[in-house]
Amino acid sequence: MTAPWVLDEDDALELLAYLVTAARTQVDEAAEYGPMRLLTAAHRLAEAMGPRSSPETAAALGGPLAAMPTLAVPRDRTEYVEQLDAACRSLAAHLKARYGS
Amino acid sequence: MTDPVRDPVLAAIRRRRVTRAMTDEPVARADVETILEAARWAPTAGNRHLQRFVATTHPGTMRVVRMVSPGMIARPPAAIVICVDRELAAQYGFRPDVPGPWIDVGTATATILLAAQAVGLGAGPVSSFSRAAVAVALDLPDGWSPELIVGLGHPAPVQPAPMSAGRRVTWRDLTRWVPEG
Repeated sequence: MTAPWVLDEDDALELLAYLVTAARTQVDEAAEYGPMRLLTAAHRLAEAMGPRSSPETAAALGGPLAAMPTLAVPRDRTEYVEQLDAACRSLAAHLKARYGS
Repeated sequence: MTDPVRDPVLAAIRRRRVTRAMTDEPVARADVETILEAARWAPTAGNRHLQRFVATTHPGTMRVVRMVSPGMIARPPAAIVICVDRELAAQYGFRPDVPGPWIDVGTATATILLAAQAVGLGAGPVSSFSRAAVAVALDLPDGWSPELIVGLGHPAPVQPAPMSAGRRVTWRDLTRWVPEG
């Protein structure tokens, strides 16, 4: 059975346009904006996916990723990096549970 | 020093904030026109008026502009795009890479942000967007270069945190007297 789509065409187009234009703007922008742009894309993707995802994926999207603020890399990077690592670990745990066993 | 709380102009300057979340309530065209009238009075180098303004309250146009503007975090229902008429600038002898016309974009932006506050709207400047894509989305005439977008809308009750959390600076942090003392 084919899994249901979690993005419709409009959602996908919006995200695609964001990613392509962000690639262009990032050429001229401060490097510290790069993670912020990617996080913004991730938040938008999660927001669109959430209502049509499995309960497990929806729960993962609502975890540390949702709590990660879309900030540029601050001068004090420690807390920012710890928050990003927490989001990565949470996602990895979901991926492992879904695909790894 | 003039009391910045009692002087209405200084108080407005201090009160202004970038609006990062807006409601979907439409913006009246008359309010945008009031802001554009104020922008017309922004200082321009040599009184040359090299800026051009493109305004829209059209939902479909705003949707496309936001899609190609990664720096547009809010969903503003209206926008003013500040452009530079590059052909006119060239006629005045400006090379394409000189900063003069961009300074005029800055003065127009500051004026628009304050004027938006005066008509009760929130405003947020966006510099991170695809110039090429916005030119197509807005059918810009040849030679008009979009340099900055000011999104306009009614502020949402809850605003997200600033993009980078920093300490509050004072004018003294930014200023050096010459000679010192």
